[in-house]
Amino acid sequence: MPHNNFKTVYISLLVALICLLVPWSGLALKARPDFLLLVVIFWLIRAPNLCNIGTAWLVGLIADLASGGIFGQYALAYTVTAFFGVVYQRRLVLFNHTQQLLYVFILLLISQFTLLILKVFSGAEVWGWSYFLPSFTGILLWRLAVLFGLNTGGRARGT
Amino acid sequence: MALGFNHKLEQQQEPAFFVRGPSPFARLVFFSALSLALIATDSRLQYLSTVRQHLVAILHPLQVIANAPSQLYQNVTEYFSTQNRLVSENKQLRQQALENNVALQKLNTLTLENSHLRGLLKTNQALAETSVLGEVIYVGRDLFRKKNILNRGTQHQIIAGQAVVDATGVIGQVTRVFPYSSEVTLITDKALAIPVQIERNGLRAIAFGRGRDNTLDIPYLPANVDIKTGDKLVTSGIDGVYPAGLAVATVTKITATPDSAYARITCTPTGGIENHRHVLIVSMPIKNEVPSQEVETSQNTLPTSNKKESGQTKIKKAANLTEKPIKPNATQ
Repeated sequence: MPHNNFKTVYISLLVALICLLVPWSGLALKARPDFLLLVVIFWLIRAPNLCNIGTAWLVGLIADLASGGIFGQYALAYTVTAFFGVVYQRRLVLFNHTQQLLYVFILLLISQFTLLILKVFSGAEVWGWSYFLPSFTGILLWRLAVLFGLNTGGRARGT
Repeated sequence: MALGFNHKLEQQQEPAFFVRGPSPFARLVFFSALSLALIATDSRLQYLSTVRQHLVAILHPLQVIANAPSQLYQNVTEYFSTQNRLVSENKQLRQQALENNVALQKLNTLTLENSHLRGLLKTNQALAETSVLGEVIYVGRDLFRKKNILNRGTQHQIIAGQAVVDATGVIGQVTRVFPYSSEVTLITDKALAIPVQIERNGLRAIAFGRGRDNTLDIPYLPANVDIKTGDKLVTSGIDGVYPAGLAVATVTKITATPDSAYARITCTPTGGIENHRHVLIVSMPIKNEVPSQEVETSQNTLPTSNKKESGQTKIKKAANLTEKPIKPNATQ
């Protein structure tokens, strides 16, 4: 179980970054969950005093660097997502697992939508619904993490 | 275990009752503005390219760590590859080498003949291009773009703009160079254009990447142009980026729409755009290195009447015109 301090936050972010840097290809690349954003959302819900919108922005910049796209695209997407995460943080910790999962899914979708708008403005081609696959794999990963005992700040049903 | 969770839940830090620092909305506005400023700077100005180079170099060790498992897997499978397979592969390669040698001999005589002919015509010599072998480390992570990252960078004298080919055809062009890696924009990327020529009749055109489905388009050819499905496209070599005569794509579909003067021509790339691991990074030779000796000998052999002279200068002018580099849209 992770402890809430800056060291844990940054080490988990580093691990997520390495997961992102793994040479994915083909379908795995298309379905790859957004590891960095998931970790950011986790810390946003759990310890908003350690990880806030600024952290999300910085992590977004690193994601921009890793993706090789224009600087600021992921940063903006993560900032907007983090804002919606922080605004409802108090309620989120009271949610049960299913409600939380749904909200995380919405957050992931917000991030992807923001990114999509930015990419389309910079002249990218949209290729269809499979673009939103990472959101689904993202909540799958979240659910797995909860099943394996990661405390996401939400209360189990009935406690 | 459930007890443990509850215990930890109590340990969990409660956020401060009063939110410290600026409100979330203020933070949102501030960081969004910062991001938008970055987007504008990076897409319109070139200031951030050096910053990016340094940051990617910092990220390099992490990349090495991330690549380690797949590298290890490859090494292990290579180590345990059966002798049978190696023997059959060896046999196949030998046969291929023999065939290639025969072709190469022919090529040598042709090159010699060509250089003699060029000497007679007093045109610039087509020089041999140099190449560096590179390996694709990973596919670009931005799914909106078609890019590959190679393990060769400024440390290996790679410069942006070089062409990248594999055994079967053109792959793309180096668009960004970092100290230990470089980014190749594939010919199927939407922002890349490549000057081509139809092998059958020599018709020149420019092929653009489609951005999806791994295909290329030739958008600006009239509907009545002499092009058939199955036609092979090769590089025309007039851009100063790609050496002439490399296979690029095969025409797969031509649709003439009545409302447009242009045909819709779709092509599939010949090169193993997404499945080859080893590629060659080719650099074009510098154009103005004309071997003076060849020119002199050709002057001696050719009769120097005024009529001929004017004809030769015309040819020379034409050659210069065609060899003026036309850069395709290099991507950011």
